[in-house]
Order: sequence, then C-alpha cells, then structure tokens
Amino acid sequence: MATMIQAKALGKTVTTTSGDLTILTDINLTVAKGESLAITGASGSGKSTLLGLLAGLDVPSTGSVALAGIDLNTLDEEGRAKVRADHVGFVFQSFQLLPGLTALENVMLPLELRGDRNVREQAAQYLNRVGLGERLSHYPPQLSGGEQQRVAIARAFACKPDILFADEPTGNLDSTTGHTINDLLFELNAEMGTTLVLITHEDRLANRCARQVQLAAGELMICGSAAVQ
Amino acid sequence: MLAWQLLWRNWRSGELKLLAVALVLAVTVVSAIALFTDRLEGTLLEQSNSLLGADRLIKSNQPHQPAWEATAEAEGVAHTRVAHFASMVYAGDEMHLAAVKVVAENYPLRGYIDVSNTPFATDTSLIERAQGVPAAGEVWVDSRLLPLLNIELGDALQVGEQTLQASKVIISEPDASGPFSMMGARIILNWQDLAQTRVIQPGSRVEYQWLLAGDNADVASLMTWLEPRLSDHDEVMDIENAQRRLQGTLQTGRQFLVLAAIMGVLLAGVAIALAARQFAERHVNQVALLKSLGASSQRIRRLYCLQLLMLAGIASMIGLALGVSLQALIAQAVLSLYQIPMAAAGATPYILSLLSGPLALVGFALPSLWFLPGVPPIKVLRQELVLDKSAMGWQIGMASLVLVILVGVFGRDLLLGFTVLAALAVVGVLTAAMALALLTMGKKAGAQAGSRWRLALASIQRRRGASVLQVVVFATAIMLLLTLTIVRTSLIEEWQVKVPADAPNHFLINIAPSEVADFKQLLMDDNLRVEPLYPMVRGRLTHIDGEPKPDDTLDREASLTWTDQLADDNEIVAGKWWNEWSGADGELPGVSVEQEVAQRLGIELGSRLTFSIGGLIAEAQVASFRTLEWESLRPNFYFIFEPGALSDYSPMYMTSVYLPSEKKRFINTLLTRYPTIVVLELDRIINQIRDIVAQVSDGVGMVLVMVLLGGCLVLIAAVTGSIEARKQEAGLLRALGAPRRLLVGSIWIEFALLGFCAGLIAVLAAEALLLGLQVFVFEIPVQPHYIYWLLTPVLSAFFVSSLGALSCRQSVTTPPATVLREAL
Ligand SMILES: Nc1ncnc2c1ncn2[C@@H]1O[C@H](COP(=O)(O)OP(=O)(O)OP(=O)(O)O)[C@@H](O)[C@H]1O
Ligand SMILES: [Mg+2]
Repeated sequence: MATMIQAKALGKTVTTTSGDLTILTDINLTVAKGESLAITGASGSGKSTLLGLLAGLDVPSTGSVALAGIDLNTLDEEGRAKVRADHVGFVFQSFQLLPGLTALENVMLPLELRGDRNVREQAAQYLNRVGLGERLSHYPPQLSGGEQQRVAIARAFACKPDILFADEPTGNLDSTTGHTINDLLFELNAEMGTTLVLITHEDRLANRCARQVQLAAGELMICGSAAVQ
Repeated sequence: MLAWQLLWRNWRSGELKLLAVALVLAVTVVSAIALFTDRLEGTLLEQSNSLLGADRLIKSNQPHQPAWEATAEAEGVAHTRVAHFASMVYAGDEMHLAAVKVVAENYPLRGYIDVSNTPFATDTSLIERAQGVPAAGEVWVDSRLLPLLNIELGDALQVGEQTLQASKVIISEPDASGPFSMMGARIILNWQDLAQTRVIQPGSRVEYQWLLAGDNADVASLMTWLEPRLSDHDEVMDIENAQRRLQGTLQTGRQFLVLAAIMGVLLAGVAIALAARQFAERHVNQVALLKSLGASSQRIRRLYCLQLLMLAGIASMIGLALGVSLQALIAQAVLSLYQIPMAAAGATPYILSLLSGPLALVGFALPSLWFLPGVPPIKVLRQELVLDKSAMGWQIGMASLVLVILVGVFGRDLLLGFTVLAALAVVGVLTAAMALALLTMGKKAGAQAGSRWRLALASIQRRRGASVLQVVVFATAIMLLLTLTIVRTSLIEEWQVKVPADAPNHFLINIAPSEVADFKQLLMDDNLRVEPLYPMVRGRLTHIDGEPKPDDTLDREASLTWTDQLADDNEIVAGKWWNEWSGADGELPGVSVEQEVAQRLGIELGSRLTFSIGGLIAEAQVASFRTLEWESLRPNFYFIFEPGALSDYSPMYMTSVYLPSEKKRFINTLLTRYPTIVVLELDRIINQIRDIVAQVSDGVGMVLVMVLLGGCLVLIAAVTGSIEARKQEAGLLRALGAPRRLLVGSIWIEFALLGFCAGLIAVLAAEALLLGLQVFVFEIPVQPHYIYWLLTPVLSAFFVSSLGALSCRQSVTTPPATVLREAL
C-alpha cells in the first residue's frame, strides 16, 4: 500500500527560560494510505507535539516528515499551508469552531478557502450526515459539546482530506457522547477511506484503530500488532 | 468574494461595530474640517479679489479732497467714491435699520455686483452681473429687506427724506462685510440721491471711501503723492490688510475647529486602537484555525487587509456624509456671523476625506493587527502559546504620524498640529499623574471601606492603565465641553441679567441741535420718560501730553460728549467732577476719561489730550476718571467734556428711551417728523447677537459632541476589552457565594469613581483654561463657577457609571456555571 505519512528520525527541542527542553527524540513512523493509527501516552509525553509535526503545523528540530510523498522540510510555511489545504483535515479536543459563525458557515469555511462551488450545499450535506441537518443556522455557543464536535467532524470531512488528524476528539465530552462521536468518526473514516491519526488516552478507543503506538518520555514504543518498518 | 463574506460575518458577530463607529467618527471630524477649511480658503480667495471693490482705498469720516482727483487722473488711476452709513428705511408702517452703501458711477472698480429680479435667487440663470450702479431714484436691496418691510421689487421705500424704488435684489457685492454691515440689511443707492435723503448732517456717523484702481506703479506713485496730504482721520486700505482683517477673525474660528477636530480624531484614534487590539485578540484563534485549514500567511494578510479596506471604505462614505452636514452647520454659523457667502468646496477635500478612513485605520489599527498573519498554526494545538505582539513604541509612532498628517493636510495647519499634539501630550501626562494620584488616594481610603468599595477599588487598581486612560480621556472631553458652555453663557447671559426691565431699549441718534427742544416736547406729549440728551461729536484722540498716542488702543474715532450731569451708573473713581474741579491753568477745558481706557493708554490725571475733530484740533485736560456700566445699555462715553467745550463742532444729539411694546408706534410718529433720526432697536440687536452666538456655538457644539462621543467610544472600548477578565472574576466571586447585588454595586462604584475623578480634573482644567481666556481674550472679570464645581463631578460620575455598568452588565448576568465552564 502507498505510504501516506513518513517520519524519519524526528526530534523536537524547544528553548525555554530554564534551558533547552527535548520533547521528542528519534521518532520513526510510517502510516499507509487508509490506515488508522492511535497515538497514546501520558499527559505531557509529547503527543500533541508529534501530531503538530506530522501535520506540518510545526517544524521539527531534527529529522523529516513526508506527507503524501511531499517532504515538508523542503517547503516553507506557505508551501506547508498548501499541503495542509490539499491533504489534511483536523478534529481538535476543543472543537475550534468560530463562535461568530453558524454551524453551516463553520463547515463552509474550508470549502470557501479552497474556492469550491456549491459550498453551501456541500456543507449542508455533511451536516446532515452528522445528524445536524436541523441546526444549520445555530451558533456554536447554542450547541452542546457533542454537537459542536459533530460540526467539527463535518468540517473536517467536507474537504475530503487524505489524512485526518484528531487530537483527543472526545477529551472534553462525557463518555456516552464520546462514544457516539467516535462511532461517527470511524464511520466516516471508513466511508471515505481516509488515513486517520488519532491521539487518545482511552485504550478502548485506541483499540479501534488498526495500529497503536505509545509515546513515553518523547520516545515511541510500539504496542500494536502491525510492524513498524 | 470571501473577504466580503468574512467581513459580513465579523460584522454580524458584533466584533467590528466599535471599530466601525470609531472610524466613522474619525472620518466625520476630519472631513468636516477639511471641507470647511477648503471652503474658507475659497471664500477668502473669492473675497480678496473684490474685497475692496478697488486696489486701494482711503477711508475717512469726511469726503476726499476734490483736488486729489486731478492728480489721480494725471497718474492714470481710476477712482470713484462710496459712502457707508446706517439709516432707517421705511415703507408704510414697517421700518428697518439698513446698512446703506452709496455708490457713484464706475463702482466697483474691481469685482462685480451680482443682482437679480428674484429675491433669494440661487439659480445662476436668475442672477445677472450688474452693468453700472443703481440709476438715480432706484435702490438695490438685500433680499431679506423685502419681507422685513413687507414690500416687493418695484415698490417704493423711503431713505431719509427721499423716496426710492427698489428695483433689484443684491446677490453679491464687493466689501459685503464692510462697515455697518452688522447693523442690518444692505441697500445700495446712487450718489445723486444722497443729498435729497438729507440723512447726512454734520456730526453724522458716515464712512467715506475713495476707491482707487490702476497699474501697480501708477497707484504707488499716487499714494506717494497722497501720503503727506492725508489727515489723522484718513486710513489707507489695501487688499492685503483688508484680507488680513477678514482672515484674522476667521482664522481664530478655524483654529478652534481644528483644535476640537484634533481632539475628536485623537479620541477616535484611541478607540480605534483599542477596538483593533480586541479584534486582534479575538482573531488569534481564527487565524490559527484558517492556517490549519491550509490558508497561507499571505492569503490571510490579504483577506484581512481586504476586509479592513472595505470596512474603511464604507466608514469613510458614511463619515463623509455626516461630515458634509456637520460642515454645513458650521458654515451656516459663519455665514450669519460675517454675512459673506461661503465658496463651494473643491473636489480635493472630498477625496482626502475618503482617504482618511483607510489612513486612520493604517495609523491606529494596523500596528495592533500586524502580528495576526504571523500567528503560528501550531496555536490550534497549543492554546497556551504566548504570542509576541507588536511593540508599543511602534504603535504610538504610527498613530502620531497619522495624526499629524490628518491635521496637517486636512486642517492645513501643520504647526498647529504639532503644537496641539505637544500640548496634548503635556496635558495628558499631567492629567494622568493627577488621575494616578487620585486613584492611589482612593486605594488607601478604600482599605477601610465596605466590601463593595474594596472590590471596586481593587478592580480599578488591577486595570490601572485602562483606568487612567479613561479618566484622562473623559477629563479632556468634559473640560472642552465645560469651557465652551461657560464662555457661551457668561458672554450673553451675564450681560442680559444686568439689564433692568424698563431699561432703555431704543437708541435715538442723529438728532440735530435745532430739533432738540421739539423732540423733548414730543416725548413728553407721549408720556415717555425723557432721558438726558447727549451732544455728540466724532473725534480721534491723537496725542497725550504732546506725545503721539500708543498705536494699539482706540485706533478708531470715538464719540465725544459733554454734560454737567453725571449719569447714575457712572462713578468718579479719581479726580473731581466739574462742580469741584478747576483746571490747573484754567485755559484748557476739562475731560473725564473712562478708567480702563485711561489705564490702557497711560493717561494720568492732569494729562493734556489732543483730539482731531473733523480735521480741527481740540485740547482738554484730564479732570477725572470714571467707571461705567457698558451693560446698562444707556449711552456711554469714553470721554465726557466740560459743558460747552465742544459746542463749536456741530454736534448731533443722542439719547435712549424705553418704549414698551404697545408704544412702538411712537417711532413712526418720530420718523415721519424727523426722517434723519436713526433708531437703534436694541432689543432686536440683542436678539440678533444672541441668535448669532447661538448659531456659532451650535456649530462648535456639534464638533464637541463628536469629541464627547469619541470619549464614550474609548470608555466602551476599554470596558469591552476587560469584559472577559471581569466575567472570570465575577463568576469566581459568585461561585464563592457573593451576591449579585455586591458585584453590580461594585461596578457602579468603580465607574462612578472614575467619572468623579474625571469630572474633578475637568473642572480644575476648565477653570484654568477659562482664566487664560478671560484674562487674555474676553477681558471679563474672573469668577469661579461654583455650581459647575459641584455639578460636573457628580454628573460625570453618574454618566460614566451608567455607561460603564451598561457595558459591563454581561459580566455579572452570565451564570457562574457558564463562566467556569468556558474557563476550562
Ligand atoms: N513550544 C514549547 N515551549 C515549551 N514547552 C513546550 C513547547 N511545546 C511543548 N512543550 C512541552 O512539551 C511537553 C509535551 O507537550 P504536548 O502538548 O505535546 O503533550 P501531550 O502529550 O499532548 O499532553 P496532553 O495529553 O496533556 O495533551 C509539555 O510538557 C509541554 O509543556
Ligand atoms: Mg495534547
């Protein structure tokens, strides 16, 4: 199968007031197209940092990341933005919906940025798909947490990304709502054949992924069955 | 278009309203002064071309020497003559004190008279350029005279003893703001009719002008010849000094406007900057999200710039529309004050105004927004990331630069721009220091106070920067407002109060000596109280003790009189009145001088004063100093001579009389009998002055309302900026069991305190400013305005606390649960 994400000897060191802090060291990771990967680990172990590097939101101190065959190190911030626009979608723990926009407009936003046609119809269709067809004109503060996360999922999938990054998508939700959201996420993922990278601290959720890796003290430990390189 | 969509969504969510209103305000103020200044300059230019109706003129209280004409003709200089005076004109039962201009052939030598057959015509097709001057037997009149006399064009009206036909209305004329033009409506008549009117008698108040026009060299050589032949009563006017005179008065008004405008723009600028900062803070997440969605920094910069540009464009258009109306109000006031038509504005100020919106945005908002496109996308994953925002110095620098550009280019006064900016900086620093001191004092006092006060004071301390800014801004706005209000009222009303109900309300002047006895009889027949009649000659003080008098005081002719009876409201403060006085050498007659003018001229008791009266020399010795009440509306004189001292100088008599409204008809009886008497209807003049002052201060008041509005915007902007933090604090306090009453109360107290401080500082500053104005400009006695000392801080506290509580209400009405959940 084609490789979607390839990280080589990835490391991240940041400078703080109290000296250099190494968050990640020598991470090697390959994710195939359509594969789903769960990243687990204790709080502060560097999960979000890794996700940011894999998605091209941040630049590594050492090593390289290739997304859909494109080496991010060769690109500047503008180039990485282009890669994100073409290939990547996100779902965040804190939803990241714009409070001044209606549910529909939130979903429309990435499509508009891409310059798509029929933006409104497409967005409405995805909101329907996540069960919010009746709430198009509601603003995020008028929606429950679960509903907000559905809007975020609709927004992520509306762009038909090749890769979806999700950082603890149910971290802010109660377990029942979390379940429904996770079901939705996996359903859509299967439907659209998206490559999924999911951060979670719930074993049950991690187990739903084809493969799991664990971060501890900035290093990767394999716990799934699939082989890494 | 995406940017348009985003703009609309941002507008809908309310994030842009403050920014937009502040922008509109800035553009309104800027366009109003830009337009007004442009019109003013156009007017000056237009006026200066025909300001005198000539290149040079000699004005005097007597006609020019006929012999001069030959020389003028020999030099090839065109000449003509004009006489100005005020006279009653009447038609049937109606009458009006008109500003009469009598012109001879060839008038004007420069410029034109525009006339029309349609009163109040503005349509150019109805207006014609006059060929020549009114024919003998005809008179051209101001449109407004027709309704005043209840006549129409073609009807007759009477000037003195002559009946003339009103044949055309005057639309514009050279020297429209000339002598007597404040008195009433203009009429222009032919010199040939002057004699028959018999209005001009020896001693009448007339300004004769001899107008000259020709090549520069010819006029110059004529003037060289003329100079030594001119008397003390003659004054040479050229276009430059005429223009300077007009400009001088207009300039003062303009500078005040520019000053107020600077305040307005500055306040709007502060509001824009605060609003932009809040906008930026709210949009950090949005930008990070857009980046995670694949938008590049370039793209985001473009999107935001486009949005702001569109916002600025719309705000500029609205602001321009408002500015046009504001400017029209101010122009209206100027029009009524100076009686000159304002020129239309050119295209430049309109274009500049439209540019001022984007410019204000660049100067005041852009520095706060500049970092936005640089927000790193990783911010979506790491909320706690602290961003490195732009430096404060850069913001202040940009803002000052734009402010100077706006004021310099738009107000056409770069120096004033700099000066004011510097002065404002000083005032700002002083006020800030005072505010800081007051707030610190409050903190100490608050330590012993109840919990509501403690909370309020703690809140002020926590946001000390914002608190001081609010106090400074409000204090400045209130100070300006207060100053204007006090000046306005004290100038008119303090004068009004002193006029008793039965004070004389009509001045009768120009009464010939032969008419005096008969005139008194007429009054008595009508049961009217006879006030003393004063003989009057017009003369110019030329020397004091043989030395030429100082140049800057009393440069015009003064009314000289004599009497043996001191009026009730006159009081001798030094020297002696005639009954006790005997001159040192017994030869010179005595003169009593008004105390203030004596002081300014450096006159002492016993000084020998030399007057030029119609070319003759009269001398007198100072016998006493008097104080008098100008406000009493009785005839008042700087110089009162010993009885009989001036009887050789063909005096005209004047007096004042109280006519109750039911006896107004007495004027008709009087004028039918003595057409040359001039009646000044003081009640009308007072009303007219009050109207003019009211209109002017309305125009200025509008600008100040803008300034105050700017102050409110800054307050609202500052409060909305702190609303999130306030919500957190309130939520926490309520979760800990604080009752809502306590929180609401503490907010009221907090803003009331800020308002009180602002009001207090404003009163102090306004009194200082007034002191300066009163001492240097208006020359009225200084007195503290105690009522404002009490009212201002209290009203200011009330106003600011209402505004603050209103803007803050969200922070206490949000349920604590929501607040705490959002905080997670
Ligand atoms: N730019 C940075 N500067 C300083 N410290 C950083 C920076 N980025 C990450 N860290 C630190 O690195 C560690 C890892 O952070 P990261 O957010 O990746 O952890 P995480 O595994 O996602 O934790 P959580 O489960 O709590 O979300 C943390 O201690 C964090 O404070
Ligand atoms: Mg994390």
